[in-house]
Amino acid sequence: MAFLEMIDIVKRFPGVLANDHVNLAVEQGEIHAVMGENGAGKSTLMAILYGLHAPDEGYIRLDGKTEIFRSPIDAIERGVGMVHQSFKLFESLTVWENIVYRREPRRGLFIDAKAAQRQVAELAARYGLPIDPIARVGTLPVGVRQRLEILKALYRHARILILDEPTAVLTPGEAVSLFEVIRNLAVNGCTVLLVTHKLNEVMAVSDRITVLRDGKVTDRLVTAETNPTEIVRAMTGRNVLLQVGKTARPAGEIRLEVKHLVVDGRNRRAVDDVSFALRSGEILGIAGVAGNGQSELVEAIVGLWPTDGGAILVDGKDVTALPIAGRRDAGMSYIAEDRSRTASAGTASAMDNLALGFHRRRPIAVHGLLNLREMRGWARTLIRKFDIRIAGETTPVGTLSGGNLQKIVIARELAHDAPVLIAEQPTRGVDVGAIEFIHAELVAERDRGHAILLVSAELSEIMALSDRIIVMFEGRIVASLTRAEADEATLGLYMAGGRKEAA
Amino acid sequence: MSAFAGLMRTTKLPQWVGSLLPVFWAVIVGFAVCGAIAGTVGLSPLLMLTELIKGAVEGPQIFETVARAVPLVGMALAAAMPLRAGIVNLGTDGQLVLGGCVAAIIALYLPAPDGVRIVLALITGTLVGGAYAALAAAGEIYARVPLLVSTWLMSYPAKGLCGWLVHAPLADPLVAWPSTRRIPLGTRLEHLIPGTPINDGFLLIAFAAILIVFLDRRSSVGYELRLRGLNERFARYGGVAIDRQTFWLMFASGAMAGLIGAVLVLGSQYRFTDGALTAPQYTWSGTLAALLAGGEPLGAIIAAVLFAALQTGGFAMERSVEIPRVLTMVLESIVILFLAMRGAIWRRR
Repeated sequence: MAFLEMIDIVKRFPGVLANDHVNLAVEQGEIHAVMGENGAGKSTLMAILYGLHAPDEGYIRLDGKTEIFRSPIDAIERGVGMVHQSFKLFESLTVWENIVYRREPRRGLFIDAKAAQRQVAELAARYGLPIDPIARVGTLPVGVRQRLEILKALYRHARILILDEPTAVLTPGEAVSLFEVIRNLAVNGCTVLLVTHKLNEVMAVSDRITVLRDGKVTDRLVTAETNPTEIVRAMTGRNVLLQVGKTARPAGEIRLEVKHLVVDGRNRRAVDDVSFALRSGEILGIAGVAGNGQSELVEAIVGLWPTDGGAILVDGKDVTALPIAGRRDAGMSYIAEDRSRTASAGTASAMDNLALGFHRRRPIAVHGLLNLREMRGWARTLIRKFDIRIAGETTPVGTLSGGNLQKIVIARELAHDAPVLIAEQPTRGVDVGAIEFIHAELVAERDRGHAILLVSAELSEIMALSDRIIVMFEGRIVASLTRAEADEATLGLYMAGGRKEAA
Repeated sequence: MSAFAGLMRTTKLPQWVGSLLPVFWAVIVGFAVCGAIAGTVGLSPLLMLTELIKGAVEGPQIFETVARAVPLVGMALAAAMPLRAGIVNLGTDGQLVLGGCVAAIIALYLPAPDGVRIVLALITGTLVGGAYAALAAAGEIYARVPLLVSTWLMSYPAKGLCGWLVHAPLADPLVAWPSTRRIPLGTRLEHLIPGTPINDGFLLIAFAAILIVFLDRRSSVGYELRLRGLNERFARYGGVAIDRQTFWLMFASGAMAGLIGAVLVLGSQYRFTDGALTAPQYTWSGTLAALLAGGEPLGAIIAAVLFAALQTGGFAMERSVEIPRVLTMVLESIVILFLAMRGAIWRRR
């Protein structure tokens, strides 16, 4: 009998069978990867393990005992810890305060700060997770915050640690040290469940893999005996091309020009004197670790965030003073990074989501009134063209998996046929099949002579798609390279702040 | 607030069924609870129910209900329009009073033929109500004064100013209560059905209600409002001019309130009396109706008509069988609480 077993787990959501008799067995001290496309059911499975959802059928057996977790409190009690994609930390408090929260060592009525700090330091040393217990969380880089999240779980005696897409926010260097931490945890007897899309990570760090598709387990693999192709086949049921077919093509005239742009963020200068030009028929990639000013740069270009200096020109026309609608009219469309918060309304239907931006123009609107038949037809056309898996055009898009929701966003933004497309993290959290599709669409868009600004924290994506690459670090452009000059090592160096003379 | 909104949106049935079903269930439960209360103090629940329904719809009572529904529906729509986009107008009271006061002044003092006077009184009352609400919107757009605060607070000076006008310069010396002189016969709204309290205001509000429901469902403007209510950032991202929308939306909301004020003064009160427009608490019931429907206009209208029926039924019940009217207020609150509770339950899933 395995250390942790999830047995015949069934979980239904309205209209969806998220987990269909899923079995998962994990040994103590094992690093077990849970893989699958978006909507395959891996998040649901992990949510059940962490007590966030109750299964409709099936049960969990942990260390020989049958368990029902009614809440994360139950799960934590039994030694299950989870590090979410978005960290749950008090930024204004120190490291040790975050770690001991609700389990504070006490002396009388007061928290024993000295003891707490000592415990945290000991814990950090034992698991090889160097951290300064008295640092304020708000001042720490993302990689260290993640370490802190792991320590928080370990402080609560986690024997099983669930890591949900842990490398999404990390630099390549930080990711490597995370893998060391994971291995170290396993050596110390901690069981790690790694939820991820990234094949290379799974190959590098896991012992075994459980692959889900459409709520069912499609394969159980031993990492040492498998290869990425086999995993992809189990995830998608077919062989997926991992490269993008793209021919060299001369760039045309300048479509988007950014001159000495300055943007102040919430409490610091986020974009500092950034200039570049984007030409028709090219994809310009902006590489950089998340949080180095890329979001602010993009939001300033599209008009979601005010600028504090410099100019933005579309086809030679200064749009710096224009509102969002004016910039869109000037020829910009925008695939926003956060598809559920910015680029869609989850409770609205696909029809409503796909019509935004077209709702004041013919044929959808005539004299300010909507032609609902046109609107429906428009939605159906896009759903078909982009192969969006959705029950119907009246279905709210909040029910869709990440990949399908992203297709809604991309379908709408590409339909604008705008000469400048800003694609921000277009494949984040999207499954392999959808990534392939989205990449092909972006390349087709470029081949039609449109100009694409691609912002991605994913180096492989930048490398696969871009004709030119610029690297942002702390709000500045630290390098500008042609595709031929760029390789993963060089870009990684610039992304980490290693500065050379910018071209 | 968003709980109600969520309630209206999670339904998969056609929209109008979605608007009705939860209200229906809430009313059933409300009646059950009120019946139980009545039963425990020795009153017959059945008698209460029949008297309440008879008092709301039987014979001429139906006209009372309709007459009461006119301002209630109007105020519900005034509250629902901004709510649809996720913003709040808590100052409909002040806008209502301003509209009524201005309409009375025009009707009494403008040197013009009767027909012109009445039309101008209605239009000016509407515009002044709208402008006053738009002023609050401008405060938010240019000075970041939250609408929630400004609309609420701006009600007091509006009510104060109109109250002062009828206390001093425009007061009718012949009546004890501070009010304007009586509006002459020719400048009143005519009775639509003779012998009933229903006047031409019914047509105006019915037209406005139909227009609002139609625009909400079928126009680009309504689409933008709805999407903003669902996700404001998404609407902004798509190019909706949020500030301009806020301004005109508040104008429309205030104008609706101002129109109700003018209709009440010209159609049933025949003078502007300090406190008379706010005393029946149309604003409060209307805002509740709008909240219940999550800003969806048809739902708000249905809820407002229901409240009007409950209120007239309650009055009649108290008169005829001496069951205290407070029970209908208990019923009203239970209906609302039950609906709110369901909203929360639906959201949690």
